[in-house]
Amino acid sequence: MWTTQVGPSRFRIRRSKSLKTCPKLHMLTSRVVPANEDQASRSVDYFESVYDLFDSAQQVAGPVERGYLIGGFHVRLSFAGPALLSLTRALDHLAADDDSHPDLTICLWDSESTGQRMIARPWQEEDFLARGVIQGYNTDRIYTAFQHGSGAVSVLDRERNVAVFWAPDAKLPYWEYGSPLRSILHWWLLSRGLQLVHAAAVGNANGGVLIGGKGGSGKSTTALTCLESKLSYVGDDYTLLGLDSGSVVHSLYNSAKLNSDHVQRFPSLLPKIANPERLADEKALLFVNEYYPAKVATRLPVRAVLVPRVTGLPETSWKRVSVAITLAALAPSTIFQLPRAGNEALRFLAAFARHLPCFSLEVGTNLSTIPAAIERLLAEID
Amino acid sequence: MDTQRFKVNIPTVTHEIIDGEAVIINLENGNYYSLSDVGSFIWGLFETGSSANEIRNQVLQTYQGDATDIDRSVRELLTQLQQENLIVPVNGTASDHTQPAPANNNDEKQSFNPPMLHKYSDMQELLLLDPIHDVDDAGWPKPVPDPPK
Repeated sequence: MWTTQVGPSRFRIRRSKSLKTCPKLHMLTSRVVPANEDQASRSVDYFESVYDLFDSAQQVAGPVERGYLIGGFHVRLSFAGPALLSLTRALDHLAADDDSHPDLTICLWDSESTGQRMIARPWQEEDFLARGVIQGYNTDRIYTAFQHGSGAVSVLDRERNVAVFWAPDAKLPYWEYGSPLRSILHWWLLSRGLQLVHAAAVGNANGGVLIGGKGGSGKSTTALTCLESKLSYVGDDYTLLGLDSGSVVHSLYNSAKLNSDHVQRFPSLLPKIANPERLADEKALLFVNEYYPAKVATRLPVRAVLVPRVTGLPETSWKRVSVAITLAALAPSTIFQLPRAGNEALRFLAAFARHLPCFSLEVGTNLSTIPAAIERLLAEID
Repeated sequence: MDTQRFKVNIPTVTHEIIDGEAVIINLENGNYYSLSDVGSFIWGLFETGSSANEIRNQVLQTYQGDATDIDRSVRELLTQLQQENLIVPVNGTASDHTQPAPANNNDEKQSFNPPMLHKYSDMQELLLLDPIHDVDDAGWPKPVPDPPK
């Protein structure tokens, strides 16, 4: 873990006077198009205003730095004080000591602990779009989203590779701690060829399987059964996909989320639940790396894509399904949760699934049969 | 009407044809759809813009079936796709000339089965998760407190 304290001046941002001279960035999505130069300038100004507030907050509360290796990229989290440090639990398995220049720096602050108020929003109420996208403050360069439920704001400057995450206070919903900084990481990593996907992944020396499907489809159940097996755990909710060197899945979060009624099926996990007192309102949250660090794999080549289906039968089996069925399981649940995701995500996921065998994993009620079936499947594919 | 061209409703809709099946996602309302076989073939014709007449002729050239059935199926699918806001009219119309079905060797054609648009709404909740919000003093949305039980 980094202990080096890097002051805010290290990446202090100077207001750009020459946006026109900036290299054109790869277009991430066609859903939000910069309307004009005013919008581009306004978006940059907004980012810089939010960054300046972070800077002030960090000077008051003190800098706290953490480094991570995410999908092969060095990501530095720079906090204004310790209040939001709990967000790192889901990323702890990716902690990196390397103090080299980060590829991406994410600045985090909250108003309650630092006393630094957030700027009044400069947009109108009708500019809050679906998935938290802020109309008028999203361009090729600047990405801005509001997180309903937590009240957090995420804003990324892709040209400077700096993002700011602000929250009113540290009392964030459990899912913010389970999958922190999801929007920022999605936006930035896509520009580096990695697609965040709503899918679990497990595997062994033969490779891994990607397990796609909407919430409640059995992803987490399948992934968690592997903790007591020979299989490694990559993730159970959100993972990262790469295509540069074959089909690869990278671990993103080590947090497992289970419906509170399902968690009863895993008695060995019950004492490890991070939020036992709130299960009436929240999913059970488990940080796998804190209890099973040796089980967490950070990267696996993907050999197959599975779509889980609960059958009610005791045994687990599988059957071949079409790529289109698999894409329909992967793409909508991914795209509908990520601000500004659209065409590019669908193309990426189609390209990823197109060259892999796709199966329906017929999940049995006898949980021990799940990892056993996956092991057999991986052996057969190999 | 039959010469009015339609195209995929970009950017509201994103879509992909993979192994002969179309996966279609409406990014605004959270619905998604699938089309296979003839339906996927027809969907592909909307990528560049096609009219009902043009689609009918393309289907007749490719599939073996009763021309009246094909004509009716094409119209029904086109109506469904419009109702779901998946295709939109484009400026300009196609030629009004309805070509006769070419006399291809039917043995080389696939059998025509009426296209079925499968619609899925189980992801809508993800877009509708945003709770009804109020606005605080600084103008930020905030969740409306649950009513007392």
